[in-house]
Amino acid sequence: MAAGPDALGLFTAIGLSEHKARETLKNEALSALLREAVTQAQGILGPAVDKATGTLLYNVASRLKDQKHLRFLVGCISSKKIVTDLQLNAALEYVRSHPLEPIDTADFERECGVGVVVTPEQIEEAVEAAINKHRGQLLLERYHFNMGLLMGEARGRLRWADGKSIKNEVDLQVLHLLGPKTEADLEKKPKAGRARPVEGEKQQTAVEENGDVALETKSLLEQLRGEALKFHRPGENYKTEGYVVTPHTMELLKKHLEITGGQVRTRFPPEPNGILHIGHAKAINFNFGYARANGGICFLRYDDTNPEKEEEKYFTAIREMVEWLGYKPYAVTHASDYFDQLYGWAVELIRRGHAYVCHQRVEEIKGHNPPPSPWRDRPVEESLLLFEGMRKGKFEEGEATLRMKLVMEDGKMDPVAYRIKYTPHHRTADRWCIYPTYDYTHCLCDSIEHITHSLCTKEFQARRSSYFWLCNALDVYCPVQWEYGRLNLLYTVVSKRKIIRLVETGAVRDWDDPRLFTLTALRRRGFPAEAINAFCARVGVTVAQTTMEPHQLEACVREVLNERAPRAMVVLEPLRVSIANFPAEKALEVLVPNFPADETKGFHSVPFQPHIYIEQTDFREVVDKGYKRLAPGQPVGLRHAGYVIAVQNIIKDASGQVVELEVTCTKSDAAEKPRAFIHWVSEPLVCEVRLYERLFLHKNPEDPAEVPAGFLSDVNPDSLCVIDGALADRSVHSAQPFDKFQFERLGYFSVDPDSTEGKMVFNRTVTLKEDPGKV
Amino acid sequence: MAAHVDQYSARLLRQEKEIKILAAEVDRLKNFGCLEASPSLEGLRDENAKLKYRLNVLQKSLQEERNKPTKSMININSRLQEIFGNAIKAAYSDLENPPLAVTPSQQPKFGDYQCNSAMGISKMLLKTKEQKVGPREIAENISRNIPDNEYIEKIEIAGPGFINVHLRKDFVSKQLSSLLVNGVRPPAIEKRKKVVVDFSSPNIAKEMHVGHLRSTIIGDSMCRLFEFVGYDVLRLNHLGDWGTQFGMLIAHLQDKFPDYLTVSPPIGDLQAFYKESKRRFDTEEEFKKRAYQCVVLLQSKTPDFIKAWKLICDVSRKEFQKIYDCLDITLVERGESYYQDMMKDIVQEFEERGFVQVDDGRKIVFVPGCSVPLTIMKSDGGYTYDTSDLTALKQRLFEEKADIIIYVVDSGQSVHLQTVFAAGQMIGWYDPAVTRVVHAAFGVVLGEDKKKFKTRSGDTVRLIDLLEEGLKRSMDKLKDKERDKVLTAEELKAAQTSVAFGCIKYADLSHNRMNDYIFSFDKMLDDKGNTAAYLLYAFTRIRSIARLANIDEEMLQQAAKEKEIILDHEKEWKLGKCIVRFPEILQKILDDLLLHTLCDYLYELATTFTEFYDNCYCVEKDRQTGIIVKVNMWRMLLCEATAAVMAKGFDILGIKPVQKM
Repeated sequence: MAAGPDALGLFTAIGLSEHKARETLKNEALSALLREAVTQAQGILGPAVDKATGTLLYNVASRLKDQKHLRFLVGCISSKKIVTDLQLNAALEYVRSHPLEPIDTADFERECGVGVVVTPEQIEEAVEAAINKHRGQLLLERYHFNMGLLMGEARGRLRWADGKSIKNEVDLQVLHLLGPKTEADLEKKPKAGRARPVEGEKQQTAVEENGDVALETKSLLEQLRGEALKFHRPGENYKTEGYVVTPHTMELLKKHLEITGGQVRTRFPPEPNGILHIGHAKAINFNFGYARANGGICFLRYDDTNPEKEEEKYFTAIREMVEWLGYKPYAVTHASDYFDQLYGWAVELIRRGHAYVCHQRVEEIKGHNPPPSPWRDRPVEESLLLFEGMRKGKFEEGEATLRMKLVMEDGKMDPVAYRIKYTPHHRTADRWCIYPTYDYTHCLCDSIEHITHSLCTKEFQARRSSYFWLCNALDVYCPVQWEYGRLNLLYTVVSKRKIIRLVETGAVRDWDDPRLFTLTALRRRGFPAEAINAFCARVGVTVAQTTMEPHQLEACVREVLNERAPRAMVVLEPLRVSIANFPAEKALEVLVPNFPADETKGFHSVPFQPHIYIEQTDFREVVDKGYKRLAPGQPVGLRHAGYVIAVQNIIKDASGQVVELEVTCTKSDAAEKPRAFIHWVSEPLVCEVRLYERLFLHKNPEDPAEVPAGFLSDVNPDSLCVIDGALADRSVHSAQPFDKFQFERLGYFSVDPDSTEGKMVFNRTVTLKEDPGKV
Repeated sequence: MAAHVDQYSARLLRQEKEIKILAAEVDRLKNFGCLEASPSLEGLRDENAKLKYRLNVLQKSLQEERNKPTKSMININSRLQEIFGNAIKAAYSDLENPPLAVTPSQQPKFGDYQCNSAMGISKMLLKTKEQKVGPREIAENISRNIPDNEYIEKIEIAGPGFINVHLRKDFVSKQLSSLLVNGVRPPAIEKRKKVVVDFSSPNIAKEMHVGHLRSTIIGDSMCRLFEFVGYDVLRLNHLGDWGTQFGMLIAHLQDKFPDYLTVSPPIGDLQAFYKESKRRFDTEEEFKKRAYQCVVLLQSKTPDFIKAWKLICDVSRKEFQKIYDCLDITLVERGESYYQDMMKDIVQEFEERGFVQVDDGRKIVFVPGCSVPLTIMKSDGGYTYDTSDLTALKQRLFEEKADIIIYVVDSGQSVHLQTVFAAGQMIGWYDPAVTRVVHAAFGVVLGEDKKKFKTRSGDTVRLIDLLEEGLKRSMDKLKDKERDKVLTAEELKAAQTSVAFGCIKYADLSHNRMNDYIFSFDKMLDDKGNTAAYLLYAFTRIRSIARLANIDEEMLQQAAKEKEIILDHEKEWKLGKCIVRFPEILQKILDDLLLHTLCDYLYELATTFTEFYDNCYCVEKDRQTGIIVKVNMWRMLLCEATAAVMAKGFDILGIKPVQKM
């Protein structure tokens, strides 16, 4: 062990209990630091270090982030400039926000209250002032009053006063004012009862003002709990752990603040080479959401550095999805917008000796421990010329690359910054034949756009040091990269390649087949954007990877649709019913509430006439126990119609199949209350309904342990059921694609874009209740 | 009935299926589905697309490099060749190597340049494709394929099918400004090549004669040109410093100056010394024997004999240096002796490769296409010129890594050198497509009687005497013109040497080197016609224009940067065009090594300038008072540009102009 056996003695000598000292020794880094601190302190104070000082030393060793300040702080403690924990806190904060040496001692001492003496009189005075301020409330609430408030105010006046002294003084003065506690004072305050309604009220007002925002605001608040609370304030990038401070950092941050005005800036940077999926929804929500919650801005930046994979359709699709989710980018930018600047910086990087032109082939530098480049130390002038040659088309593809001189976290040496591709770019056309890589482009684009928080998924953790390195190598503003866990969903695949396979093999119809979890598919299936956002919020932002079940997403969908999707009646498998004693000559109009729970949201009318259709499953010739719907001798109510029907005659075809029922009807108020109400349609529209089940049978279709024959073998043969001749009531008549309905007793449905003038097509979004089999 | 219905509906179903399949097949074929069969096709298409893309990038890069404000001068002729070449390729893509001819026009009515390819293409089409197309039509077709560019103002078709090109004035004007701002720069070269020029090359102990003078002057000028364009030039003096004659010289030296090892022998006249030893060699049998012994001892590097050899060489060297100093010529001495130790290996190499035949004890090499074989070893085991020249060739190719080797040697050596070059190619030392090895041959010098140049007494003319006579004649001429009354003694002396040596060099260089040339002091010192005297006078006059207008260098520089050079006057335009032709002249000489082209150009430039100066006022003065009223700065700039090009021309020719004459 680094600290050695005598370390135990050393640590106990400064007042640590033997137990604590042993615990400390288990942490090598900490004990090394503490040892250094104690040795330094003993050099000044002699071998006997008092316990108070010892505690401060322990605190400084365990809490200091940047070790280079240890000597300075231990010096302050040893010379008794810092004597309280309060001062130490201030000192730690001070060195954190002043990362550059040397430390301005005068400013430091002022900020940390060095030499400030607080007299008991001052404390008395401060506490008295606080009590006077709240005298009325205090007398009213007596000991139920929040005494912390008084202490806080007194502390506000006397920053360096000892907390204990203040508390004692408060207790004393309160006792003086109120006298000893009575029995009533000792009773517990009904805490919870009060807090809740207040919150509820607030929410409700929000809903009234603007129904749409409410849900979102809530989701933002939810997701910004946790890790995101720890984010640095704009311009204080250096407060983030691991952020690299160079002699230029503070100056650059100052300029950065001048440009942004202290605004939070984020970006959503998709590669325009595929369709967005549910995982991206999290990134969109996080980036746009964090910016919105902080009054900042968020860019939509296409990372279009690979000309081979880009297609126009992806650009528009991505933008459409971002907007569908309810976000409006502050600006839509492209990495290719900055190609000129990036090229200029690459030249500068070579000039500074941080990059070189390499001729190793891709195959040579692949895999583990590839041989180092023999061109690493070639003269700068040579690299400059060769790099220009690359740009001018003098090399074949793969014959030369520009590489940065750095070792990444995973041991990867000298990542490539530029490579040759004789491929036109969809935006820069034939201007370039060298294209920058992700490693080179990403951080520099963030820098150009003055991104404050560069949020990305955890796979990019290994690239964080290269991110900081590159910005610093060029002395440009360096944003903070922060990684969060990916969002994975079970029972699906999201990779572009695999979806292509699914489409090719005919397992799904296209990229937006509602059984997939691409965002276009979810939209087509009828998932509201708010539900997806709410789901992302529920998942939250954590460092850990999260794996969710589809039903969790579906629950969010139900929540939203319950409020949003108006009712309609649709019969999937119709059975014709003729009402013999229909009460009117012509059809009747039946008013159906759009939302039975809230009739203020309006009604629609559907015709009711002698011929209606009900679900075949809602009629049985033979009744068994528990069956409550229509049967001979068991009348049933027609929802919303106000009538009860009773079977009179069953008409069958040659094969014995029931083809029609002849019934009589009775007004509900005149009839005995039926055991059940069923939905029905009359003068209906014939439409197609598509019912979806999970696309895959296993949770992880890509996992060879679960599905040895590969994900294609795991496709659920019953994932799609098309009902061609469903009958819908007339209220859906003018619905547009993506309009959503709750089909009574069936589930939530959304109009598919395949709908034509003559025939509407509906997708089942979700069933009304979670299928217990799925959980 | 039902059976029929079933039958027919089944059939209907089958047919409908079939229709669907056929429709799909038709679609597939419409989309070239049939081609999907070959996966390599897709790959080739991709590759083709990438190559096209790369070609486009490279072309743009080339354009970019050209458009870069370059300091080197633009060779307009070659740019036009390129433009016309591309246009012809576009218009007649199926013709292989169509003729391409672009030259400056002789008369202003034919434009500035003309392209005469249409006639050739017409013939070619008839011959190779049996198509009868008129040249005029071809010219029109070529013209249509010429893209907009920064050089050409307009194109006209004249006569049977000449394409006359009119340059853009703004382009020429910009070139002139750039020339003034950046100085006279060479046309851009692709790569810095290594050039070895073998010239001068007199023999030790023999006098330099006028033949050596030609080699020295032509070789030096070539070196200057290659140096100017930026090549790495090695100027080699391939001295005749080895051979049997040294045996008799050493033997004679030992007799005449027995203490030569300690006391430097006072040999004043080496030629007389040589003659004397030669006489003894021819008459005294004993001496002859000893002379042979001396040769053997020298070749075996016996120190005393090497010392004697060096002493003799030094005497010669001092004589040669006097001449080189006069003519301002620098050379690296690398005589035949330098290659002696390498010759053994060369012989061995030829033997190992099976090229050697033994003929009467000699080792000879037959080279295909050459009538006379090379003798690489004599029957007594000695080497020959063939051996040493082969050795030198290999050393220059492999050790000096020369890209270009030029032998400036009289045309009498032509067969010998061609055989050596062919042998070098035969054994694989170089590929003429990559390395250029040439014999820059020249004719003999004749006297005014058109006979071999001799003194009146019939002796060969000693070079040093010739130069001295030149100086005298030049001074006489200056005095005739009473220049001695205007110039200071120093200025006069400078003018004297400038004119004397300038004229000797220029007279040689201004003639096509392939021809014999008549040496005449009278002609070369004449200040009219294409002579150095004329050009030197013209040059000092141009230089004086600015001086007399009180315009200094700085003002001219400033003006060159700020003022546009106007070329509206016919003579201005003519002069401007003439000036910017300089790079194409140099390029031509780099290709054919004929320096008289430069002399012709300088003469044309001087006369064109005179035309300009007679027609366009540079400085306008009050007739009465002589006070300067107006300075036409752009014309001063034209003067300056002319002078700058002339000065550079002189520099390449090895002529030193003076400010006053």
